[in-house]
Amino acid sequence: MSDSPVPAASVVLVSGGSRGLGLSIVEDLVAAGLKVAAFARTVTPELAKLADTEPDTVLAGSVDVTDLAAVTAFVRRTESTLGPIDGLVNNAAIGQDSLHVHTAPDALARLIETNLTAPLLLTRLVLRRLLATSRRGRIVNVTSICAQRGFPGLAAYSATKGGMEAATRSLARELRDRALINCVAPGFFASEMSAVLGSTQLDQIVRRTSTGRLTEPVDVLPVVRMLLTADTNIHGQVLTVDGGSNT
Amino acid sequence: MNSIDPPATVSVLDRDQIRDLMTQVLAAQGKDLPSGESADLREIGFRSLDFSELALRVEDEIGRELNFDAPGLRNIRTVGDVLDLLAELQDAT
Repeated sequence: MSDSPVPAASVVLVSGGSRGLGLSIVEDLVAAGLKVAAFARTVTPELAKLADTEPDTVLAGSVDVTDLAAVTAFVRRTESTLGPIDGLVNNAAIGQDSLHVHTAPDALARLIETNLTAPLLLTRLVLRRLLATSRRGRIVNVTSICAQRGFPGLAAYSATKGGMEAATRSLARELRDRALINCVAPGFFASEMSAVLGSTQLDQIVRRTSTGRLTEPVDVLPVVRMLLTADTNIHGQVLTVDGGSNT
Repeated sequence: MNSIDPPATVSVLDRDQIRDLMTQVLAAQGKDLPSGESADLREIGFRSLDFSELALRVEDEIGRELNFDAPGLRNIRTVGDVLDLLAELQDAT
Protein backbone atom coordinates (compact mmCIF):
# COMPACT_ATOMS: atom_id res chain seq x y z
CA MET A 1 0.00 0.00 0.00
CA SER A 2 1.29 3.45 -0.89
CA ASP A 3 1.90 6.05 1.79
CA SER A 4 1.47 8.88 -0.67
CA PRO A 5 -1.90 10.36 -1.67
CA VAL A 6 -3.20 9.77 -5.19
CA PRO A 7 -1.70 12.62 -7.23
CA ALA A 8 -3.92 15.30 -8.73
CA ALA A 9 -5.14 14.47 -12.21
CA SER A 10 -3.31 16.23 -15.03
CA VAL A 11 -4.96 14.84 -18.18
CA VAL A 12 -8.71 14.37 -17.80
CA LEU A 13 -11.12 12.66 -20.15
CA VAL A 14 -14.67 14.06 -20.01
CA SER A 15 -17.54 12.22 -21.67
CA GLY A 16 -20.49 14.32 -22.75
CA GLY A 17 -18.31 17.41 -22.63
CA SER A 18 -19.82 19.47 -25.41
CA ARG A 19 -22.75 21.20 -23.72
CA GLY A 20 -24.39 21.93 -20.37
CA LEU A 21 -22.67 20.69 -17.26
CA GLY A 22 -20.12 18.69 -19.26
CA LEU A 23 -18.92 21.73 -21.19
CA SER A 24 -18.80 23.76 -17.96
CA ILE A 25 -16.64 21.04 -16.39
CA VAL A 26 -14.28 21.12 -19.37
CA GLU A 27 -13.97 24.92 -19.22
CA ASP A 28 -13.43 24.86 -15.47
CA LEU A 29 -10.70 22.20 -15.60
CA VAL A 30 -8.90 23.99 -18.42
CA ALA A 31 -9.03 27.22 -16.41
CA ALA A 32 -7.50 25.29 -13.51
CA GLY A 33 -4.54 24.32 -15.69
CA LEU A 34 -5.46 20.73 -16.54
CA LYS A 35 -5.34 19.16 -19.98
CA VAL A 36 -8.78 17.98 -21.05
CA ALA A 37 -10.03 15.64 -23.75
CA ALA A 38 -13.77 15.92 -24.24
CA PHE A 39 -16.06 13.95 -26.47
CA ALA A 40 -19.73 13.84 -27.26
CA ARG A 41 -21.91 12.65 -30.10
CA THR A 42 -21.78 16.16 -31.52
CA VAL A 43 -18.99 18.65 -30.92
CA THR A 44 -20.70 21.97 -30.31
CA PRO A 45 -19.24 25.24 -31.62
CA GLU A 46 -18.39 26.17 -28.02
CA LEU A 47 -16.26 23.06 -27.49
CA ALA A 48 -14.72 23.31 -30.96
CA LYS A 49 -13.74 26.91 -30.29
CA LEU A 50 -12.12 25.95 -26.99
CA ALA A 51 -10.12 23.18 -28.68
CA ASP A 52 -9.06 25.54 -31.47
CA THR A 53 -8.01 28.21 -29.00
CA GLU A 54 -6.09 25.84 -26.73
CA PRO A 55 -4.77 23.07 -29.03
CA ASP A 56 -2.06 21.99 -26.57
CA THR A 57 -4.53 21.72 -23.72
CA VAL A 58 -7.90 20.69 -25.14
CA LEU A 59 -8.84 17.86 -27.47
CA ALA A 60 -12.40 17.51 -28.75
CA GLY A 61 -13.91 14.55 -30.53
CA SER A 62 -17.22 13.55 -32.02
CA VAL A 63 -17.71 10.16 -30.41
CA ASP A 64 -20.80 8.24 -29.30
CA VAL A 65 -20.12 6.95 -25.79
CA THR A 66 -21.84 3.66 -26.66
CA ASP A 67 -19.41 3.01 -29.53
CA LEU A 68 -16.59 1.28 -27.67
CA ALA A 69 -14.28 1.09 -30.68
CA ALA A 70 -14.63 4.83 -31.28
CA VAL A 71 -14.18 5.58 -27.59
CA THR A 72 -11.04 3.42 -27.51
CA ALA A 73 -9.64 5.23 -30.54
CA PHE A 74 -10.31 8.60 -28.89
CA VAL A 75 -8.57 7.47 -25.70
CA ARG A 76 -5.50 6.51 -27.74
CA ARG A 77 -5.63 9.82 -29.60
CA THR A 78 -5.81 11.64 -26.28
CA GLU A 79 -2.78 9.80 -24.95
CA SER A 80 -0.72 10.59 -28.03
CA THR A 81 -1.84 14.23 -28.08
CA LEU A 82 -2.11 15.30 -24.43
CA GLY A 83 -0.37 12.49 -22.55
CA PRO A 84 -1.48 9.54 -20.41
CA ILE A 85 -4.99 9.93 -18.99
CA ASP A 86 -5.06 10.04 -15.20
CA GLY A 87 -8.52 11.52 -14.70
CA LEU A 88 -11.96 10.56 -15.97
CA VAL A 89 -15.31 12.31 -15.66
CA ASN A 90 -18.19 10.07 -16.65
CA ASN A 91 -20.74 12.71 -17.52
CA ALA A 92 -22.40 11.57 -20.74
CA ALA A 93 -26.00 10.52 -20.19
CA ILE A 94 -29.39 10.71 -21.77
CA GLY A 95 -32.47 11.83 -19.89
CA GLN A 96 -35.96 10.46 -19.51
CA ASP A 97 -39.38 12.01 -19.14
CA SER A 98 -41.81 9.13 -19.42
CA LEU A 99 -43.71 6.98 -16.95
CA HIS A 100 -42.23 3.48 -16.79
CA VAL A 101 -45.35 1.82 -18.18
CA HIS A 102 -45.16 4.07 -21.21
CA THR A 103 -41.43 3.76 -21.83
CA ALA A 104 -40.72 1.62 -24.88
CA PRO A 105 -38.43 -1.37 -24.29
CA ASP A 106 -35.87 -0.08 -26.77
CA ALA A 107 -35.86 3.33 -25.07
CA LEU A 108 -35.27 1.63 -21.72
CA ALA A 109 -32.42 -0.42 -23.19
CA ARG A 110 -30.88 2.71 -24.70
CA LEU A 111 -30.98 4.48 -21.33
CA ILE A 112 -29.19 1.59 -19.65
CA GLU A 113 -26.64 1.25 -22.45
CA THR A 114 -25.78 4.96 -22.46
CA ASN A 115 -25.99 5.76 -18.76
CA LEU A 116 -24.73 2.55 -17.17
CA THR A 117 -23.03 0.11 -19.55
CA ALA A 118 -21.06 2.75 -21.47
CA PRO A 119 -19.55 4.50 -18.43
CA LEU A 120 -18.67 1.14 -16.88
CA LEU A 121 -16.86 0.15 -20.07
CA LEU A 122 -15.11 3.52 -20.29
CA THR A 123 -14.05 3.22 -16.66
CA ARG A 124 -12.73 -0.28 -17.35
CA LEU A 125 -10.79 0.98 -20.36
CA VAL A 126 -9.17 3.88 -18.50
CA LEU A 127 -8.38 1.77 -15.44
CA ARG A 128 -6.77 -0.96 -17.51
CA ARG A 129 -4.45 1.59 -19.10
CA LEU A 130 -3.68 3.10 -15.70
CA LEU A 131 -2.88 -0.20 -14.06
CA ALA A 132 -0.89 -1.55 -16.99
CA THR A 133 1.53 1.35 -16.66
CA SER A 134 1.78 1.51 -12.85
CA ARG A 135 0.05 4.89 -12.76
CA ARG A 136 -2.60 6.20 -10.38
CA GLY A 137 -5.66 8.30 -11.14
CA ARG A 138 -9.02 9.71 -10.25
CA ILE A 139 -12.54 9.14 -11.51
CA VAL A 140 -15.65 11.23 -10.99
CA ASN A 141 -19.04 9.85 -11.96
CA VAL A 142 -21.77 12.43 -12.44
CA THR A 143 -24.92 10.86 -11.08
CA SER A 144 -28.11 12.53 -9.87
CA ILE A 145 -30.32 13.21 -6.91
CA CYS A 146 -32.63 10.73 -8.66
CA ALA A 147 -30.43 7.90 -7.41
CA GLN A 148 -31.47 8.76 -3.85
CA ARG A 149 -35.02 10.07 -4.18
CA GLY A 150 -37.98 9.01 -6.27
CA PHE A 151 -39.28 11.17 -9.08
CA PRO A 152 -42.06 10.21 -11.51
CA GLY A 153 -41.03 9.72 -15.09
CA LEU A 154 -37.46 8.81 -14.25
CA ALA A 155 -37.51 5.12 -13.29
CA ALA A 156 -34.92 3.82 -15.74
CA TYR A 157 -32.80 6.97 -15.54
CA SER A 158 -32.78 6.73 -11.74
CA ALA A 159 -31.85 3.04 -11.94
CA THR A 160 -28.82 3.83 -14.08
CA LYS A 161 -27.64 6.59 -11.74
CA GLY A 162 -28.15 4.38 -8.70
CA GLY A 163 -26.23 1.68 -10.54
CA MET A 164 -23.28 3.98 -11.07
CA GLU A 165 -23.27 4.94 -7.41
CA ALA A 166 -23.31 1.27 -6.37
CA ALA A 167 -20.52 0.47 -8.83
CA THR A 168 -18.50 3.37 -7.45
CA ARG A 169 -18.57 1.93 -3.95
CA SER A 170 -17.43 -1.49 -5.18
CA LEU A 171 -14.73 0.00 -7.39
CA ALA A 172 -13.36 2.01 -4.49
CA ARG A 173 -12.85 -1.29 -2.68
CA GLU A 174 -11.23 -2.88 -5.72
CA LEU A 175 -8.96 0.03 -6.54
CA ARG A 176 -7.80 0.73 -3.00
CA ASP A 177 -5.10 3.41 -3.29
CA ARG A 178 -4.48 3.09 -7.02
CA ALA A 179 -7.30 5.38 -8.07
CA LEU A 180 -9.84 7.49 -6.23
CA ILE A 181 -13.40 7.13 -7.50
CA ASN A 182 -16.39 9.17 -6.37
CA CYS A 183 -19.76 10.44 -7.52
CA VAL A 184 -21.16 13.94 -7.69
CA ALA A 185 -24.95 13.92 -7.57
CA PRO A 186 -26.45 17.23 -8.63
CA GLY A 187 -30.01 18.16 -7.82
CA PHE A 188 -32.21 19.20 -10.69
CA PHE A 189 -30.85 22.15 -12.59
CA ALA A 190 -33.13 25.14 -12.87
CA SER A 191 -32.99 24.96 -16.64
CA GLU A 192 -34.05 21.30 -16.68
CA MET A 193 -36.86 21.83 -14.20
CA SER A 194 -38.33 24.83 -15.92
CA ALA A 195 -38.51 22.84 -19.15
CA VAL A 196 -40.83 20.20 -17.72
CA LEU A 197 -42.53 21.80 -14.71
CA GLY A 198 -44.94 24.67 -14.31
CA SER A 199 -44.14 27.71 -12.19
CA THR A 200 -46.28 26.47 -9.29
CA GLN A 201 -44.37 23.18 -9.11
CA LEU A 202 -41.07 24.99 -9.45
CA ASP A 203 -41.98 27.34 -6.59
CA GLN A 204 -42.88 24.36 -4.42
CA ILE A 205 -39.54 22.66 -5.06
CA VAL A 206 -37.65 25.85 -4.34
CA ARG A 207 -39.52 26.26 -1.04
CA ARG A 208 -38.48 22.73 -0.05
CA THR A 209 -34.84 23.44 -0.85
CA SER A 210 -32.94 24.64 2.20
CA THR A 211 -30.88 27.19 0.31
CA GLY A 212 -33.98 28.53 -1.42
CA ARG A 213 -32.64 28.06 -4.92
CA LEU A 214 -32.23 25.26 -7.42
CA THR A 215 -28.84 23.89 -8.39
CA GLU A 216 -26.86 25.53 -11.17
CA PRO A 217 -23.97 23.87 -13.05
CA VAL A 218 -21.59 26.38 -11.50
CA ASP A 219 -22.41 24.90 -8.08
CA VAL A 220 -21.12 21.50 -9.18
CA LEU A 221 -17.83 22.60 -10.75
CA PRO A 222 -15.74 23.12 -7.60
CA VAL A 223 -16.80 19.72 -6.29
CA VAL A 224 -15.73 17.93 -9.48
CA ARG A 225 -12.47 19.89 -9.53
CA MET A 226 -11.79 19.08 -5.90
CA LEU A 227 -12.30 15.36 -6.45
CA LEU A 228 -9.89 15.44 -9.40
CA THR A 229 -7.18 17.60 -7.91
CA ALA A 230 -7.34 18.09 -4.14
CA ASP A 231 -5.76 15.83 -1.55
CA THR A 232 -8.93 14.88 0.30
CA ASN A 233 -8.82 11.09 0.81
CA ILE A 234 -12.48 10.98 -0.30
CA HIS A 235 -13.07 7.59 -1.91
CA GLY A 236 -16.20 5.69 -2.92
CA GLN A 237 -18.53 8.49 -1.88
CA VAL A 238 -21.50 10.33 -3.33
CA LEU A 239 -21.37 14.10 -2.85
CA THR A 240 -24.82 15.55 -3.32
CA VAL A 241 -25.10 19.10 -4.58
CA ASP A 242 -28.78 20.00 -4.28
CA GLY A 243 -29.13 22.94 -1.94
CA GLY A 244 -30.21 20.72 0.92
CA SER A 245 -33.46 19.51 -0.60
CA ASN A 246 -32.49 16.01 0.44
CA THR A 247 -32.09 16.79 4.13
CA MET B 1 -0.95 8.75 -44.54
CA ASN B 2 1.69 7.35 -42.23
CA SER B 3 1.05 3.90 -40.89
CA ILE B 4 2.45 2.39 -37.74
CA ASP B 5 2.84 -1.35 -37.49
CA PRO B 6 1.32 -2.79 -34.32
CA PRO B 7 3.86 -4.06 -31.81
CA ALA B 8 4.89 -7.66 -32.34
CA THR B 9 3.24 -10.09 -29.94
CA VAL B 10 4.04 -13.61 -28.86
CA SER B 11 1.38 -16.23 -28.28
CA VAL B 12 2.40 -17.28 -24.78
CA LEU B 13 4.91 -16.00 -22.22
CA ASP B 14 7.02 -18.54 -20.38
CA ARG B 15 7.63 -18.44 -16.63
CA ASP B 16 10.86 -16.47 -16.92
CA GLN B 17 9.18 -13.81 -19.03
CA ILE B 18 6.26 -13.53 -16.61
CA ARG B 19 8.73 -13.35 -13.76
CA ASP B 20 10.51 -10.46 -15.49
CA LEU B 21 7.22 -8.59 -15.75
CA MET B 22 6.47 -9.34 -12.09
CA THR B 23 9.86 -7.87 -11.21
CA GLN B 24 8.91 -4.70 -13.12
CA VAL B 25 5.57 -4.40 -11.30
CA LEU B 26 7.27 -4.63 -7.92
CA ALA B 27 10.15 -2.38 -8.97
CA ALA B 28 7.67 0.36 -9.85
CA GLN B 29 6.76 0.37 -6.15
CA GLY B 30 10.35 0.20 -4.97
CA LYS B 31 10.06 -3.48 -4.03
CA ASP B 32 12.22 -6.46 -4.97
CA LEU B 33 11.17 -9.89 -6.17
CA PRO B 34 13.08 -12.57 -4.22
CA SER B 35 14.71 -15.40 -6.10
CA GLY B 36 12.87 -18.71 -6.21
CA GLU B 37 9.14 -19.27 -6.24
CA SER B 38 8.32 -19.94 -2.62
CA ALA B 39 8.24 -16.36 -1.36
CA ASP B 40 4.94 -15.39 0.29
CA LEU B 41 3.12 -12.67 -1.64
CA ARG B 42 2.07 -10.88 1.57
CA GLU B 43 5.64 -10.69 2.75
CA ILE B 44 6.87 -9.14 -0.49
CA GLY B 45 3.87 -6.80 -0.70
CA PHE B 46 2.36 -8.19 -3.89
CA ARG B 47 -1.37 -7.49 -3.69
CA SER B 48 -4.36 -8.44 -5.82
CA LEU B 49 -4.17 -5.20 -7.78
CA ASP B 50 -0.54 -5.96 -8.48
CA PHE B 51 -1.67 -9.25 -9.96
CA SER B 52 -4.12 -7.27 -12.13
CA GLU B 53 -1.30 -5.02 -13.25
CA LEU B 54 0.87 -8.02 -14.02
CA ALA B 55 -1.96 -9.68 -15.97
CA LEU B 56 -2.43 -6.49 -18.01
CA ARG B 57 1.28 -6.44 -18.82
CA VAL B 58 1.07 -10.07 -19.93
CA GLU B 59 -1.96 -9.13 -22.06
CA ASP B 60 0.07 -6.41 -23.73
CA GLU B 61 2.75 -8.93 -24.63
CA ILE B 62 0.47 -11.65 -25.96
CA GLY B 63 -2.07 -9.35 -27.59
CA ARG B 64 -5.22 -10.76 -26.02
CA GLU B 65 -7.21 -10.31 -22.83
CA LEU B 66 -6.94 -12.65 -19.85
CA ASN B 67 -10.26 -12.10 -18.13
CA PHE B 68 -10.83 -14.20 -15.03
CA ASP B 69 -13.04 -14.47 -11.97
CA ALA B 70 -11.98 -13.41 -8.50
CA PRO B 71 -11.98 -16.88 -6.82
CA GLY B 72 -8.89 -17.89 -8.79
CA LEU B 73 -7.02 -15.01 -7.24
CA ARG B 74 -7.90 -15.98 -3.69
CA ASN B 75 -5.86 -19.17 -3.94
CA ILE B 76 -2.55 -17.60 -4.86
CA ARG B 77 -0.14 -17.38 -1.97
CA THR B 78 3.36 -17.54 -3.44
CA VAL B 79 5.33 -16.29 -6.40
CA GLY B 80 5.04 -19.77 -7.90
CA ASP B 81 1.23 -19.60 -7.60
CA VAL B 82 1.26 -16.35 -9.59
CA LEU B 83 3.36 -17.88 -12.34
CA ASP B 84 1.18 -21.02 -12.38
CA LEU B 85 -2.06 -19.04 -12.64
CA LEU B 86 -0.85 -16.81 -15.43
CA ALA B 87 0.40 -19.84 -17.34
CA GLU B 88 -3.01 -21.47 -16.92
CA LEU B 89 -4.84 -18.30 -17.99
CA GLN B 90 -2.75 -18.03 -21.13
CA ASP B 91 -3.46 -21.65 -22.00
CA ALA B 92 -7.18 -21.20 -21.38
CA THR B 93 -7.65 -18.24 -23.73
